[in-house]
Amino acid sequence: MEQLANNPADGATAYNFAYLDEQTKRMIRRALLKAVAIPGYQVPFAGREMPMPYGWGTGGVQVTAAVIGPNDTLKVIDQGADDTTNAVSIRQFFAKTANVATTEKTAEASIIQTRHRIPEKELREDQVLVYQVPIPEPLRFLEPRETETRKMHALEEYGLMHVKLYEDIARHGHIATTYAYPVMVDDRYVMDPSPTPKFDNPKMNNMAALQLFGAGREKRIYALPPYTKVKSLDFEDHPFEVQTWKDECGMCGAHDSYLDEVILDDQGNRMFVCSDTDYCAERQEAGHRGPQHHDQPLGNASREKAAE
Amino acid sequence: MTLQSQTSELLPGFDHAAFDSNAVFRVLLDALSRPGRIYDVPVSVATPDGLNATTTATLLAMADMDTTIWLSPTCVTKAATDHLKFHCGCPISDDVAKADFAVARIDDDLSFITHLSVGNAEYPDQSATLILMVDEISNAPAMKLTGPGIKDSHDLDIKKLPASFHAWRAENHHMFPCGVDVIFASPTKIAALSRTTRIEVI
Ligand SMILES: [Zn+2]
Repeated sequence: MEQLANNPADGATAYNFAYLDEQTKRMIRRALLKAVAIPGYQVPFAGREMPMPYGWGTGGVQVTAAVIGPNDTLKVIDQGADDTTNAVSIRQFFAKTANVATTEKTAEASIIQTRHRIPEKELREDQVLVYQVPIPEPLRFLEPRETETRKMHALEEYGLMHVKLYEDIARHGHIATTYAYPVMVDDRYVMDPSPTPKFDNPKMNNMAALQLFGAGREKRIYALPPYTKVKSLDFEDHPFEVQTWKDECGMCGAHDSYLDEVILDDQGNRMFVCSDTDYCAERQEAGHRGPQHHDQPLGNASREKAAE
Repeated sequence: MTLQSQTSELLPGFDHAAFDSNAVFRVLLDALSRPGRIYDVPVSVATPDGLNATTTATLLAMADMDTTIWLSPTCVTKAATDHLKFHCGCPISDDVAKADFAVARIDDDLSFITHLSVGNAEYPDQSATLILMVDEISNAPAMKLTGPGIKDSHDLDIKKLPASFHAWRAENHHMFPCGVDVIFASPTKIAALSRTTRIEVI
């Protein structure tokens, strides 16, 4: 095998660039090329054990490992935050095994690996979004057998899926599913957008960036090429709607972002804050202030307003 | 036969296996994600008789013992098969229906393409990829491409692309999700057609 390590000077380290051996990366890369050619279809791949537990996004890590090159800049988010244990350890994993630059800024990243959220800032053509997917099969809760769900996808038998959503309407008066809300890809495949909130579903539609999905436990890869039609399943009399909040972000005053509720004390005081920490920080840096921001009024924007 | 005497006749593969494979793969990923866009292949490789540089780079990056290669009669030189067997370890078959990657020249008899594997309804990914070596790829408006990966439309021109290719491709598109994906490989550039791509010949 030695003759395969081409350059003895750096061959030894490069062989396991980004942790995975070259043959495993090639196998994942071939699956990725099929995945982009068949948008929304789940390509099986021979997943590898990664040095982290399944719940930590091993599918996304394997996809990122196959895609990432020495010139990439990686951002990793868990919920919307870059500083959770999971995000930090994945970022450190690639900083160590691939020696790549990392960032917390959406705009600076060439690859963004995510567990739940799609960044609020619009992604560009030169960016790749990698999702860590726990359950890739949107029909699994209807049908536990893989052989059967495969047949259902092959025959476009999606009636049961619609029945399940309609049962929600009968029970709650609206579609109650708020996470992993199923989408129809390019009018052909029903796809699970991973545990993203349905708030983010519209961002998947016609996104300029390439979207790749990796499920480690179930060993599936799927993809959305850029500018692909992604439609959340709905009904004429009950059209798809995203969550909205009465409140604004307490820190940056955003009305258009996905908000997390934060309990402030045991008196029942609470505030809402952007789940996308980079988006919130960037807005604060630009002078935007929410009601709970302590140094308010501050920033040129508010000062100018006061002067008017 | 000793290993040394075998290696001495062989052309080298990638200078740097991990980085070069990654760079070539990223171009292929971009090309298949954005059908009709033309990409430079950022790696220079030694090219055996029968293949061109971008085809050689594509196979070095993507092929191994798990992928079967079929080479058209004009490509299947001893130099090409030795090169691929040594650097990729891939089986080379003369049965086109078994191919994961099929390689041909644009001016070959292309009647073989109807025998390529298109996968099946449950596993449409079990399909062949056609690598077609061409002289020139440009974005002159010979074909107007639409579909996933394309914002409005992409124009693409492949020099000498015969009408029979378009007839096959139209049929191939209707088989979705089954179908064959196509990589056009000029001496320096590549562009791809995904099975989803709709082609209007202008
Ligand atoms: Zn905010």
